[in-house]
Amino acid sequence: MKKLTVLMLIFVLAIGCLTACSQPATEAESDLAYVQDKGALVVGITDFAPMDYKDESGKWIGFDADMATAFAEYLGVEVEFMEIEWDNKIMELDSKALDCVWNGMTLTDEVLNSMECSNAYCDNAQVVVVPVAEADKYQDIDSVSALNFAVESGSAGEIAVNDLGYPCTAVQSQSSALMEVAAGTADACVIDLLMAGAMIGEGTSYPDLTHTVALNSEKYGVGFRKGSDLAAELNKFFAEYYADGSMLELAKTYGVQESVIAQ
Amino acid sequence: MFQTVMASLNEGFLKTLEIFVLTLLGAFPLGLIICFGSTSQFRLLKYPVKLIVWCVRGTPLMLQLLIIYYGPGLILGNNWWGNGSSGRFTAAIVAFIINYACYFSEIYRGGIEGVPKGQYEAGQVLGMTKSQIFFKVIFLQVIKRIIPPMGNEIITLVKDTSLARVIAVYEIIWSGQAFIKSSGLIWPLFFTGVYYLLFSGILTLLLGRLEKKLEFFRV
Repeated sequence: MKKLTVLMLIFVLAIGCLTACSQPATEAESDLAYVQDKGALVVGITDFAPMDYKDESGKWIGFDADMATAFAEYLGVEVEFMEIEWDNKIMELDSKALDCVWNGMTLTDEVLNSMECSNAYCDNAQVVVVPVAEADKYQDIDSVSALNFAVESGSAGEIAVNDLGYPCTAVQSQSSALMEVAAGTADACVIDLLMAGAMIGEGTSYPDLTHTVALNSEKYGVGFRKGSDLAAELNKFFAEYYADGSMLELAKTYGVQESVIAQ
Repeated sequence: MFQTVMASLNEGFLKTLEIFVLTLLGAFPLGLIICFGSTSQFRLLKYPVKLIVWCVRGTPLMLQLLIIYYGPGLILGNNWWGNGSSGRFTAAIVAFIINYACYFSEIYRGGIEGVPKGQYEAGQVLGMTKSQIFFKVIFLQVIKRIIPPMGNEIITLVKDTSLARVIAVYEIIWSGQAFIKSSGLIWPLFFTGVYYLLFSGILTLLLGRLEKKLEFFRV
């Protein structure tokens, strides 16, 4: 019995060592070939109306989701949407758990450094969200300097607030930043304009919040693994998709036509 | 809306239950094997096993989840878990089983070492083999001793399942939180607490019963 257990344990350990020592797979092939070979483009998203969200039947739709579907069709592969923890997006890409992240992603320096990004396709802004009752007081950038901000950790909003040198607390997501304001634990928060449109005001859990100042303007792009040739392929697709008017038409469906960038 | 939320929370809770049950099924036996390893006389086995137990108990489960799911793809360039949700789920189960098995192994060790030597000697006098002594004489006594600390770990596991969300396994907290983003509803997230409370309540009752059932002998 004891010998048997000893043997079993040695076996388990040996497997552990083998896996630890095995060589990394050679990785020179093109990402385009890799995706076409497995027949699916895995797109990392979060629930983010109007870019990526579920319709009543549970299907992923939105300006980004529909374009991702069209891009997959253009590549001749299936599209698969995977809802992820946004903080992990670079690990998701590098470990090949995903092929791209396409979720209203602001093209910051950090994003451009760590991913292969497409051309910008959509405009956005970071806006300050405050309770409706106090909105009158905070209509320009200087008036909000003394507020205690909640921002999403690692988001474009955090960068915007830090650039201004205003005090802020980083929280896990844009929605938790909103919750901070609603709970009164922060005076204001900074989130995406497109998201603010969908999440605050009448008919949501935050009817008493509104957005005022825009801190900056920014652009959305799609992220791929560093060095991936898919980004260039997507730029080609964007050019065609914009030229024949499909991109604008799609944008109208989701009410974002004014933000679309010419390709 | 209420029905949509409940349906989604139920689906998330089902995932939570799956993680819970599969982790226990895997960690109970693996914990015993690790326990034999760490108490072995054979040093080449004993110390590596102790090293593993130290690493697993000494790092956060959240980090282990990230390493186990992303590690193969990042370090070895080969994401053997695959792209889909099933791969994420499998990786989560593997991480949970390894983590909990290490904790269980120490509980088993405490239980085994707490059994008086006389029990082994009595078995030897009766001419039983070592494995007979362990499984027929010692093991039930061990089980009785370890129920309270095991119960503690089991209840902790109920809540630890929520960590699986870092690698996008859609358990109940994820389902609850999804409504904040999609419909601006906060209450579903807090309502998940009711599920956890009810479930751990049921488990507490069951563990209490098990303890009662084993009361027929005193160690």
